[in-house]
Amino acid sequence: MLLRILDRLEEIIIASLMAAATLLIFVAVVHRYGTGVPWLYPYFIQLHISWAQELCIYMFVWMAKFGAAYGVRTGIHVGVDVLVNQLKPVLRNKVVLFALFCGALFTFVVGTMGLKFVIELYATDQVSADLEAPRWIVFSAVPAGSYLMCFRFLQVAWTFWKTGALPHHDESHVEGIELDTAPPPQGAAR
Amino acid sequence: MTATIIFGLLIVLMLTGMPVSIALGLTVLTYLFALTDVPIEAVALKLFTGIENFEIMAIPFFILAGNFLTHGGVARRMIAFATSMVGHWYGGLGLAGVVACAFFRGDLGLFAGDGGRDRLDRPAGDGGAGLPQAVRCGVIATSGALGILIPPSIVMVIYSVATGGSIAMDPQGNRVLSASVGQLFMAGVIPGLMLASMLGATTWYRAWKNDYPRMPKASWAECFTAFRKSIWGLLLIVIVLGGIYTGAFTPTEAAAMSAVYAFVIAVFVYKDMGLKDVPRVLLGSASMSAMILYIVTNAVLFSFLMTSEQIPQQMTAWVTSSA
Repeated sequence: MLLRILDRLEEIIIASLMAAATLLIFVAVVHRYGTGVPWLYPYFIQLHISWAQELCIYMFVWMAKFGAAYGVRTGIHVGVDVLVNQLKPVLRNKVVLFALFCGALFTFVVGTMGLKFVIELYATDQVSADLEAPRWIVFSAVPAGSYLMCFRFLQVAWTFWKTGALPHHDESHVEGIELDTAPPPQGAAR
Repeated sequence: MTATIIFGLLIVLMLTGMPVSIALGLTVLTYLFALTDVPIEAVALKLFTGIENFEIMAIPFFILAGNFLTHGGVARRMIAFATSMVGHWYGGLGLAGVVACAFFRGDLGLFAGDGGRDRLDRPAGDGGAGLPQAVRCGVIATSGALGILIPPSIVMVIYSVATGGSIAMDPQGNRVLSASVGQLFMAGVIPGLMLASMLGATTWYRAWKNDYPRMPKASWAECFTAFRKSIWGLLLIVIVLGGIYTGAFTPTEAAAMSAVYAFVIAVFVYKDMGLKDVPRVLLGSASMSAMILYIVTNAVLFSFLMTSEQIPQQMTAWVTSSA
């Protein structure tokens, strides 16, 4: 149950960060050109969104970290599995588990280093350039995202150990190009 | 020697089937921890600052735009347009594939997931007027690479960012400046079109020689209808390139604008997808961009290791000494 909530939360966070960042930059551009229009000028000049770029970057950094964790769960991360799939099943299982644990190890180490860094930063009162947000909040994306990713790797490894199934993202499937149901191209009509 | 260890480790780790990003990062970590006294804490900082760059943020925006285009049926209409234009020539479907890859791939700006491309030429193939399976696959596989030349191309964004701060020397010892994203985009247009026409010519020649079946010629009215239907998709290229070239937008802003534009087109103009499909598209684009950004971050780590171990210099020395 708790896991389901975590899954949903993860999805909601990354999807809304993506949408918010896009809208933010769109608004920033509109604002920049809108200020040049005489009758909009009085309204737009009161608005200061010079911090938009910075916020956009931070949103995407958070999105990238959590999205990477989500990607582990859905198997979107690309790897070279050509050789592994040629191995005998027993050996293959071992190699796959080794790879998954390497992933968990790496993300754990990175998360821990990030955490140490954030704790040090917390003591310094540093703020970011435009937003003047505390730097440690911004940087906590690294430990939070990495630990979540580590957890996801272990989760995938556990499922693989139990059922032998790996999450797999089908590269050849492109949504929206369902050509079978699409009307035939103009020229093909006989 | 150092280079051998690093690349050996990287290749071994990659071959276990772990994500490429993890393999890159783990190589750096292992090497730094075991063989050098570079503080590993520097790595954690790099993981954040590696993508703390506004130019890189063009990648998620272009991916989002591309996903809206495919889900919103823009892709399908552009293929239909391409088919109506060149479908009646020899190997017309292959040509349509090339044209579609050139424009639509440029629109997508995506290099990942090229496998999806083999579905593009299906409708025509099913109609019985297609090329042999092997030829179709070959055409699409080769022209799928056009997307990295014809803007907006994510590869160019990554290249520009990666080389942005670097100092490079030409053989005469002069400083070589790296190119901006806009310059790279512009530089890609002509070679991209040349390559596309060469691919098209090859396809045509092969089809002509083997006398593959052709499709009936589309009438001007049909062409025009197909063009009118796909105009919104074609306009996107104009907006992105025009915006960057005239200096109206930075590449990242152009990417964000094209994402919003593609959203409006998909939901309100073509109406192939409803508002309820938007979260799914957002999620898909977010996870795809997160995957790419994660590779970029770890690649930054890797290049940090390269620089601190002076691998490029060693390789240059090795190449010049053995020549």
